[in-house]
Order: sequence, then C-alpha cells, then structure tokens
Amino acid sequence: MAFLLRRLCFYLAAFVAAATINFFLPRLMPGDPVQIMFSSAGAELPPESLQALKLTFGFVDGPLWQQYLTYLGSIFSGDLGRSIKYFPLPVTTVLGNALIWTVGLMGTATLVSFALGTFLGILAAWRRGSLFDVIVSVGAIFATSVPAVVTSLIVVFTFGFTLGWFPTGYAADPALDPALSLQYLGSVAYHGILPMLTLCAVLTGGFAVTMRNNMINLLGEDYIVMARAKGLSDTRVMLWYAARNALLPTVSSLAIAIGTVLGGSLVTEVVFNYPGLGNILYQAILARDYPVIQGQLLIMTATMLIANFIVDVSYVLLDPRLKRA
Amino acid sequence: MKKSSFPLIRNRKAMVGALIVAFILAVAIAAPLLTSYDPSARVGRPHQAPSWDHWLGTTRIGQDVFARLLYGARTSLAVGFGAGLLITAVGTALGIIAGYRGGKVDEVISFFTNMVLVVPNLPLLLVLAAFIGQASPWVIALILGCTSWAWGARVTRAETLSVKQKDYVKSAEMMGEPRWRIMSFEIFPNLISIVGINFIGSVIFAIITQATLEFLGLGDPKVVSWGTMLYGAQKASALSVGAWWDILTPCFALAFLGIGLSLLNFAVDEIANPRLRTGNRLGRWQALIRSGEGRL
Repeated sequence: MAFLLRRLCFYLAAFVAAATINFFLPRLMPGDPVQIMFSSAGAELPPESLQALKLTFGFVDGPLWQQYLTYLGSIFSGDLGRSIKYFPLPVTTVLGNALIWTVGLMGTATLVSFALGTFLGILAAWRRGSLFDVIVSVGAIFATSVPAVVTSLIVVFTFGFTLGWFPTGYAADPALDPALSLQYLGSVAYHGILPMLTLCAVLTGGFAVTMRNNMINLLGEDYIVMARAKGLSDTRVMLWYAARNALLPTVSSLAIAIGTVLGGSLVTEVVFNYPGLGNILYQAILARDYPVIQGQLLIMTATMLIANFIVDVSYVLLDPRLKRA
Repeated sequence: MKKSSFPLIRNRKAMVGALIVAFILAVAIAAPLLTSYDPSARVGRPHQAPSWDHWLGTTRIGQDVFARLLYGARTSLAVGFGAGLLITAVGTALGIIAGYRGGKVDEVISFFTNMVLVVPNLPLLLVLAAFIGQASPWVIALILGCTSWAWGARVTRAETLSVKQKDYVKSAEMMGEPRWRIMSFEIFPNLISIVGINFIGSVIFAIITQATLEFLGLGDPKVVSWGTMLYGAQKASALSVGAWWDILTPCFALAFLGIGLSLLNFAVDEIANPRLRTGNRLGRWQALIRSGEGRL
C-alpha cells in the first residue's frame, strides 16, 4: 500500500511538472506571451471570451506566483480553456472526444502486441539459436529501428492506396450515424484495423526481445533444471516455470512502452487521418491553436500516468514480495 | 543451450550496419558530386515520375527528389549525431554524478530523471517546438538534448554504483584525488560501453524524432532534410495522387539508416564489453532504443 501511495505522489508531482512547463513556456518566449498564445485568435474571438481565456491561462494582474497559482487552479478544476480553432468548444470537450478513439486504438494495439510479442519471445528463447530465434531477433531489430511515421506511411501506401483493401481515413464510414448498431461497430473495426496493425508492427518487436532475454536469463536457474528432472513436459516447464517468472519484468517494461504507444499513435493517427488525439494535435499545430496544444500535453501526461499506475497495481498483484513491503 | 550459429550472425549484423551507415555518410558528403541539381530549386515539372533526368522523380513543386535525398541526409545525420552527442553528454554526466556522490545529490537527480521518464516525450517536444515556431534543425537538436537524457542518466547511474565499489576507485579516494578527477578518469573510462550504446541509441532516437517533428509541420519547411521531405510529400497528398516516389524515398532512407545504426549498436556493445555477450546485453540495448522511440 505504501508503495502505491508513494507512486501516486510521484505521479502527481510529474503532472504538476508538465503543467509548470505549460505555464512558463509562453512566458519564456521573447515577446508578449499573451500576443504569442492568442495571436491567431485575434479576429475570431469576442473580447470577453479572450478575457476569459487569458484568465484560464493565468494572465492576471499580479506577481508571477499568483499567475501560476491561478493557472494551476484552473487546471485542477478541469478548465483547460477554449479551443481557438473550434471556438467556442472547451479544450476538454475537443480532447475528450478524441481521447476515446486514441485509447481504443492504443489499448487494442498494446494488448495484441503484448500478447503476440510475449508469445514469440517465449518460443524464441526456448529454441535459442534456431532459425525461428534468428528470425524473431532480427525482425525485432528491424521493427524497432524503423520510425513509426515510416511504418505508417508504407502500410497506408501498400494496403490502403495500392491494394485498396482498407479505408485510408476516418474512424468509421462518415455516412453512418454513430450508434451501437452492428453496422456502425463493424465499420469502426474495419477502419481501425490498419492503424492497429501498424501500431502492432511498431510494438511487437520490443515486447518479443524483452521476453526473450528475460527467459534466457531464467532458463539456467536451478528450479528449471529441477522441473525438467522431475520429468515434466516441455510445454509445462516452458509456460508454468520459466515464462511465468519472466513475465514480471516484462510488465514493468509495459509501463515504458506506453510512451511508445502514445507517440506511435500520434503519428499513426495523422497518417491514417484517424480522429484521435494525434490528429487533433496535428490540426492544432497547423492552426497555432495553443490552448489545444497545451491541453494535449496535460491529457497525454495524465493518460500515461494512469496507465503507469495500472501497471504498478498489477505489479503489486503479480509480485507477492511487494505486498509484504 | 549453447548459442550455435549466433555469434557469426551477430558479427555479420555489425558489419552490415557499419557499411550502411558509412554508405549514407559517404553519399551525404559527396552530394554535390552525385547530382547537379539544387535541392531547393524548381528544376522540373511537378510530380514527374522517375526518369533518366530525375532519377527519383520530382516533388509537387518540381524539386528533384534525388537531390533532396542526398542533401537531406546531411541534415538528418548532422542533427542525429549532434543531438545524440548532447543527449549522451548530459545523461552520462548526471548519471555519474548521481551514482558517485549519492545522498541528497543522488536523490534530487534521480527524482528529476524519473519525472522526465514518465512525462511523455513526444507531446512535450511538440509543445516546445510549437512555441518556438518553425524550428531549425539545430534548435530541434538542442531541445532533444534537453529533454531526452533521462534514460541514459538512469542506466549510467546504475552502472556507476557498481563501478564505484571497485578497488581502484577506493585507492584513488585514499590518495586524495579530487572528486571530479575520480569521476572523469577512474569511473568514466569504465563506463565507455554504456556510453557508446547510449550514444548510438540516442542518435537513432534523434533522427527518428527530428523526422517526426518535421513531418508534423513543426520544422522549418525551407530546410532540406528527410523530415521536411515527408512533410512536403504528405502536404501535397503524394500518396493519393499516386506520386509514390515523393513519399517512399524519404521513408526508405529513414528505415535504412535506422536499421544500419541499430545493427552498429551490436558492434559497439560487443567490442566494448565482451563480458556481456550473453544474457542481458540485448536487453539493455533494447531498453535504450525503446526509451528513445518510447518517448516518441
């Protein structure tokens, strides 16, 4: 429990750090920060909305610490300001709508590639030095060293444009109304399959290599030898004695991988014109919509911290040693 | 259980990697000899398919793709190695100081390191780059250096903790050598393999990230680099109008360089640290790459 509490405090500190960056960045730039942040708003926003927006970002009269507290106050009350591009929508609404798509895409891709990568890693370690091992290892190097942008572009070019098997944009058929109908959900799955496969291609290699190395380190342990000496079947030793213990460090590597998924999903969404956070961010950058860009950092940090916390909790559940501590 | 054909393959990997990187480096240096076109000038009709005049076709505004590829390699390599050097320098320095000094200093540095590790890197970079505006390659290298040192610092710190227990460090302390001397002449040389791996990992990360930032439109579009090539092609909807040469050229170049550098990482690891040939060697490398791409 103390462990989880400590992690929670740490994540809170990390979140405040991200907010602090957001606060100081416009003020560190040469020139007038208000001018920088809201120059693109000029003609579009009514003066009183602009005033409210300034207040949200802490542009109040008073010393810097007071401005900082005002900004932190608005963040922790859930006010991230209003989007300039999609005015008058609040940033939280714009990002909230997109977050569903990103988390759906990210979640599926992480689970699929974690399962697949772990499985490949177990088999590769078990048959160390075999052709299968070499293929997995070399494949993993290739997959992890190619940028996500490149993978996405090549996939969309091959399967989207050239072969025409899958759609190259949107999360669902725009002609359909969002509803919980079979037709709509089918369309969502059909549109999501290509970006998901791309993310899996980016991620699986990393999981496979981590699992393979954990396994190899464990295979020399006495209890593995013992299990074999007892005459247990190969599958049983591989899965219930080796893989089970090798999985533990892999779970902690999952926490790091969440960053990869976030970043990977950012560019993948842009390439596939998928309506998640990445695409919103891309549009915001093109329109210099700073409230959305800044809100993005906070939302993504929060997502990453929550995901990390879930990993922490599962770690405690998986590792009995931590429960006692 | 013994690895059979593996060492051979590993060495072959390393050699192939070195060849790839050397090839790209040579091509980048010899760019003016290999093409007579100016990479930013309009030298042909828009979106011409590859031909004898334009080996890799032309872009939407009629620039020669082959010339942009060659000159773009210069920018991508320069930023990659420049930022890689910076990331490694900061990470190594902080890691050694935290590991060797211990106590309060260690606590403060470790806290910041862990914090930087959990704040997602790419969104952070995007916010920074968005405020800076059309960031030149050098500005991108600089902000990469400031935000991406954390993994190197963590790994270096862990290694320093074990090195500082060694006898030669103890004897240097007994002789009253100043702390900076112990850190830079007793400890640092013994961490060279970690530093090398960190460096190549950081170079890969920097090249990928620079290309990503530029692809997202945060770079200076006038600069010729592989990232701005991607940006230009995407903006001109090169794929939907069928101008595959425009967008696949920088794609394959980036993939090629990424693979080459990763293979090279194996070589550095093996030469510097034969003790680590079995077991977790690949794991550490992987963690570095992951942290690199991880925050992308």
